[in-house]
Amino acid sequence: MADPEHDGPVHVELRGVSKQFGSTQAVDSADIAIRRGCIHALVGENGAGKSTVGRIISGVHTADRGSMVVNGRPCRFRSPRQAFAEGITTIAQELALVEDRSVSDNVFLGVESTRWGFVARNGTRRRFQALVERTGITADPAAMVHRLSVADQQRVEILRAAARRAEFVIMDEPSTRLSAKERSQLHHLMRSLRDQQITVLFISHFLDEVLELADAVTVMRDGRVVRTSEPSSETADSLVEAMIGRELAGSFPPKPPRPAPTSRPILRVRGLWSPALAATAPGVTESVAAKQDPASNAGLDLDLLAGEIVGIAGLVGSGRTEFVRAVYGADASNTGLVEVEGLPAGGSGPRRAISLGLGLIPESRKDQGLVMDGTLRYNVSLPHLRRITRKGLVSRGRERDLVSAAVSGADVRGAGTEAPVRLLSGGNQQKSLFARWMTPDLKVLIADEPTRGVDVGSKRSIYDLIAASARDGLAVLLVSSELEELIGLCHRVIVMRKGRFAAEFVHPDLDEARILQHAFGEASSAEHASSAASPEERAP
Amino acid sequence: MTGAAEARLRLPGDGRWLGVLARYGIVWVTLALFVLLALTTDGFLTGPNLRNLLDQQATLLIAASVATLTMIAGGFDLSISAVAIAAPLVALRIENATGSVALAVLAGCAFGLLVGLVNGSIVAFARINSFITTLATSFIVFGIGYIVSERSIMRPIGDGFRSIARTRVAELTTATWISLAVVAVAWVALAGTRFGRHVYATGGNSEAARLAGVRIRQVVVIVFALSGLAAGLAGVVASARTISATPSDGFGFVFGVIAAIVVGGTSIAGGTGAVWRTLLGAFFIAFMVNGFNLHQIDPIWQRIIQGLVILAAVATEALSRARRA
Repeated sequence: MADPEHDGPVHVELRGVSKQFGSTQAVDSADIAIRRGCIHALVGENGAGKSTVGRIISGVHTADRGSMVVNGRPCRFRSPRQAFAEGITTIAQELALVEDRSVSDNVFLGVESTRWGFVARNGTRRRFQALVERTGITADPAAMVHRLSVADQQRVEILRAAARRAEFVIMDEPSTRLSAKERSQLHHLMRSLRDQQITVLFISHFLDEVLELADAVTVMRDGRVVRTSEPSSETADSLVEAMIGRELAGSFPPKPPRPAPTSRPILRVRGLWSPALAATAPGVTESVAAKQDPASNAGLDLDLLAGEIVGIAGLVGSGRTEFVRAVYGADASNTGLVEVEGLPAGGSGPRRAISLGLGLIPESRKDQGLVMDGTLRYNVSLPHLRRITRKGLVSRGRERDLVSAAVSGADVRGAGTEAPVRLLSGGNQQKSLFARWMTPDLKVLIADEPTRGVDVGSKRSIYDLIAASARDGLAVLLVSSELEELIGLCHRVIVMRKGRFAAEFVHPDLDEARILQHAFGEASSAEHASSAASPEERAP
Repeated sequence: MTGAAEARLRLPGDGRWLGVLARYGIVWVTLALFVLLALTTDGFLTGPNLRNLLDQQATLLIAASVATLTMIAGGFDLSISAVAIAAPLVALRIENATGSVALAVLAGCAFGLLVGLVNGSIVAFARINSFITTLATSFIVFGIGYIVSERSIMRPIGDGFRSIARTRVAELTTATWISLAVVAVAWVALAGTRFGRHVYATGGNSEAARLAGVRIRQVVVIVFALSGLAAGLAGVVASARTISATPSDGFGFVFGVIAAIVVGGTSIAGGTGAVWRTLLGAFFIAFMVNGFNLHQIDPIWQRIIQGLVILAAVATEALSRARRA
């Protein structure tokens, strides 16, 4: 960190910058100086103003007050184009690529080499080659973007930034959707950008990443800058305390008592299989597994007891999400049996599942969970309308009772039940999905990555909600990429790999290293255990 | 930054005020136009003129109030025109054969419902884009219209047919009463029932709706079926007003319907909107045209201004969408 290279001249400086949206003060008199050729991290809870700072620098938003200095000159960007002219570009959380075009088309989009108005193929090829040599980032120029993994698409975005001679790259949560391996590749890329004297503004929720990579870290809270410091003087705990403005209480609530293993299961799954699961299990075709030979160990079995929290661990693509979706009947054509208190549910679709007392909080709240333009009230009552319909009309009174109980039960805070859910913070959006299932007839709660992209404070309240649900006698099935979370919350953790249950661990024998060994399929070779357990290799 | 700029930017609640203005924009502009015409234009604020306005808007309102549901569910029904042309031909064929007005109306509506069911099933199950689906079925239905009518103008054989639209009840025509009834039913269905909630959810985020237990394909089939039914009824009422029906293949009617929906502020992207918006949108356009006519403005200019108004409406919607993104 004391490397003189990182004490370079200030590249971008914000002085007293403020930005207001409606009645929300998103950024409040922020002072941040970002040095050239540094990886400068920006951390904070959701809604702390990190992304808004990024958008002000990149010209998406214009500051209400304050000034910005780029390369020593005062600048005030009114559009991303103006910021771009100063070498500032963004690699957003949601990638902005043209999916049906090739890598090279995307890299040079808008800056194509042309001859007589036509795209010059040879020139483009040479430029791509030169770009790869300059940056050290390799990619197949002819590959179609929609066939690439998220990580590879990100490389394309970075190449694109490089092709435009970007000097300042804003990365907003770049690693959220990456696997552990892809994440380390991204880190490598970020370092190579730094080596080329390109400044990186790195907005992230992953504090271990920040501590490992960044040359400087700025903590924001409620739109204000708390402090800017060197990562060597910080720890994950010190950052979190700065982010939430108080000392960390215990990360997890106490586990509810584990129900007696002999009690009758509330959810019984036998031989469950689906086309989506089959796609995660190379070598096991659906027909072999489920149809021709039902006696083989095809399909997945699971019993859930009332009051039990069972975690599903595994890498992305191990079949975790596919399994819980099959339990819920999210996609048709399941085979096997799903029973809730003895009544069959499997394969009959979400409607049947809901009527039997299953509730799913899906992986993506934005794409699969919430109707973003709908009010909180609409979103919470959506699966329960039948119960509150009187004489053909939805009863406003009953709806209000149901929704206000659920919303206060799940501690959703924000703009009230009549405002669209898109106005809520990520954490509160996630809690509104919990509110949706806070109904007396719920028996099994399935939560798929319930804390993804959620700020630290909301995370804790989601953990509390999960523990409280189990204490109330619900069975909880929890999918998470964060092993700490599974270990801190669950009575049992099932490890999935390639569409199968690879192992099962019971509290108190929940061990991160052993779970990882099974997730990576290295359980037999003990010498790999230590490497698999390193924090960097944490399951994505 | 200077203190003045600060004060200007920190004006309390200006964002919210703008939001309300944009959100209920159609209410203010329709009211303003009404007041303006009432004050400046002789002959506007008179019983006969307003009753006539209601009567003229009847067929459009019947089709548009129900098509609002289709649009909110994320669908686009272009076949409204074709159904409104062919359904009265079917109805008159039955009337000519049986002499029964009731059977005729039933047949016209049933024809619309059938076309709507076909549209909805194709969109929901074959997952073909609804714009393309209904464009294709439009041509088929135009063709059916020519076949049913044997390519000629059809007229009712009895006097009963015209009474569907032209009977006066409490000073208003039955066409007006039918349209008000359809608007009321569509309004309540969308705003008050479980089905209405499912319509919003399907158009807002169909995957989230499905996982919350909404049968999204069923919703899609129903909104298209209802839209077809309403278009059939609108066609029958229109032919009863003019006491004739002519086979043709024009898309004019559906464009008026879409204009009313969009000017009202219902999103073409689905998920947001309301039947009252369509009602206001239809009357905004009707007042405008009425005012033009009373001021004897050249119809050519009327078209151009109408086009600009529709653009302005869509732009307002797009801007408010961009602001909240």
